[in-house]
Amino acid sequence: MRGLKAGRKVVSFILSVWILSVVVFYMARLAPGDPLVSYYGDRVEKMSRTERERAEDKLGLNDPVTVQYFRWIGRALQGDFGISYKYKMDVTEVIGKRVGNTLILGGIGLLLTFGLSLLLGVLCAWHEDRLIDRLICKAGTVTSCIPEFWLSLVLILVFAVHLRLFPSSGAYTIGREGEMGDRIWHLILPMTVVVTGHLWYYAYMVRNKLLEEVRTDYVLLARAKGLRKRSIMFRHCIWNMMPSYLGIMAVSVPHVLGGTYIVETVFSYPGLGTLSYESARYKDYNLLMVLCLMSGIMVILCNMAAQAVNERIDPRMRAD
Amino acid sequence: MAGLFEVVGMRETVHTEPVQDKRWYEGKPVCSMAVLLLIVTGCLACDLIMTKDPSYMDLKNYNVPPNREFLFGTDTMGRDIFSMIWYGGRISLFIGLVSTVISTVAAVVFGTVSGCAPAWADHLLMRLTEILLSVPGLLLVIFIQAVLGEAGILSISFVIGITGWMGIAKVIRTEVRRLRGSEYVIASRCMGGSFFHILWYHLAPNFVSSVMFMVVMNVRSAITAESTLSFMGMGLPVEEVSWGSMLSLAEKALLSDSWWMIVIPGAFLVVTLLCITNLGNYLHRNVNRQESNL
Repeated sequence: MRGLKAGRKVVSFILSVWILSVVVFYMARLAPGDPLVSYYGDRVEKMSRTERERAEDKLGLNDPVTVQYFRWIGRALQGDFGISYKYKMDVTEVIGKRVGNTLILGGIGLLLTFGLSLLLGVLCAWHEDRLIDRLICKAGTVTSCIPEFWLSLVLILVFAVHLRLFPSSGAYTIGREGEMGDRIWHLILPMTVVVTGHLWYYAYMVRNKLLEEVRTDYVLLARAKGLRKRSIMFRHCIWNMMPSYLGIMAVSVPHVLGGTYIVETVFSYPGLGTLSYESARYKDYNLLMVLCLMSGIMVILCNMAAQAVNERIDPRMRAD
Repeated sequence: MAGLFEVVGMRETVHTEPVQDKRWYEGKPVCSMAVLLLIVTGCLACDLIMTKDPSYMDLKNYNVPPNREFLFGTDTMGRDIFSMIWYGGRISLFIGLVSTVISTVAAVVFGTVSGCAPAWADHLLMRLTEILLSVPGLLLVIFIQAVLGEAGILSISFVIGITGWMGIAKVIRTEVRRLRGSEYVIASRCMGGSFFHILWYHLAPNFVSSVMFMVVMNVRSAITAESTLSFMGMGLPVEEVSWGSMLSLAEKALLSDSWWMIVIPGAFLVVTLLCITNLGNYLHRNVNRQESNL
């Protein structure tokens, strides 16, 4: 029974990835735009017709889209994702250089967001409707209204241009790639933006879930029994709220990682965000395909993880 | 009788009528409404307020800090920011509203179809919605816009609208599934009411209240999406003035340290978003909440 269920999950996973690849492939190819620009740069404008055709032949862009698709997927199944038109390197190589940077920014950002939002949510729920709760709520609403790109700009303006405390762009000072301190120093501003951008959404959710939780009857019973507020809150309420929180955490992984996208662009941080932006803009097909598939796989996996987490810790969620 | 008895130890009971001292404005987001109204009227009546032509590039006075003549300064292309704010605000708000209308209509149609459909179709449609919902919205917008190429006001509203309906559709679907078995809907169907008749006269009045909050929040996210896109150079071009495209000059502004080009349009944007949020929260608020047991 269990094996069957796992098999079904694997099949549905493969099917979704395949559908995604078809959709992205056709959408990218059928859209207006000239992929040759990313390969040859400005020289494209001076090319004669025969030169153009030869170039398109070389990149295999002359065949019907369906033929191109089958060729692509045939090679992809053997682990060959083609070359990036812009960087003229293997796609995997281009991505491999940058994926670490994004994982550091997104991963640490994610952990900080969830730690802090849990903390803030509990703090607010504990002091419900008192001054501190209201202050945090007001401040949170304000931060949730600030677009990430603008926050990044203001931070750069204040801390990089005026106070000269932090660098305004990049992931490291050139020539000091290996130093931890330098990297952290470059991470602080982008990280602040990633965390504040998502913090209140999750903190507010924790607060509301906890407020629902403290209105249930078992809390009344526990009070009547003489348990202290603190132990009710930390031993019972938080743990009852955890399954839904963890579920939402898992689902939101792509959202937080996707949020690094804008931050990376503003801070010219060499990560996947800037890479996807360029590849979508300049029709770097092979690169775009792999990046889209990566994010798609992540979304699907995180959804599955959320479901699994929920079923594991919360018996009420089990399907049967 | 008086004087025979002395009443001792009786507590004076004071009858206090529960006074209705709640004014009409209490609990309502008056400040936000006022500020929002101010901004919206300012933008609508921008022709009266503007001191300069917002698209005129005054090459003699570029990058001027705020002063008596240029109230909010000028940008690197010599345009007057004060005039651009009102003129561009009209476009930003317009995009926000149009894309919200698009996503609301899409959500209503999708939600009701899914709610009225047989179980398997409903299941399929909802799976689709969930998949779309779990893709980061802005990434989807950026991808579609990049694929579509150069953006105009209507095309950008369309892209933002078409990517923002999922949340509302889910709520509507739940409501419709709850309502579709009720007697009045069946009665209406028996009398030959068409799908849209039932939707408009019987279903819509029931889910309006629960969807209102999400619709207002949709305006907010649409405006944010537009400004982010334009800022990244994938939305409106620099010549098409909106709050986002004004900020797309920010890179140059950082180099020349002209804070007014970044702070002023951004502040307008944030204040507008904040007012919309407060309005939405007001619609959302649970009025009679239970006492805490803790």
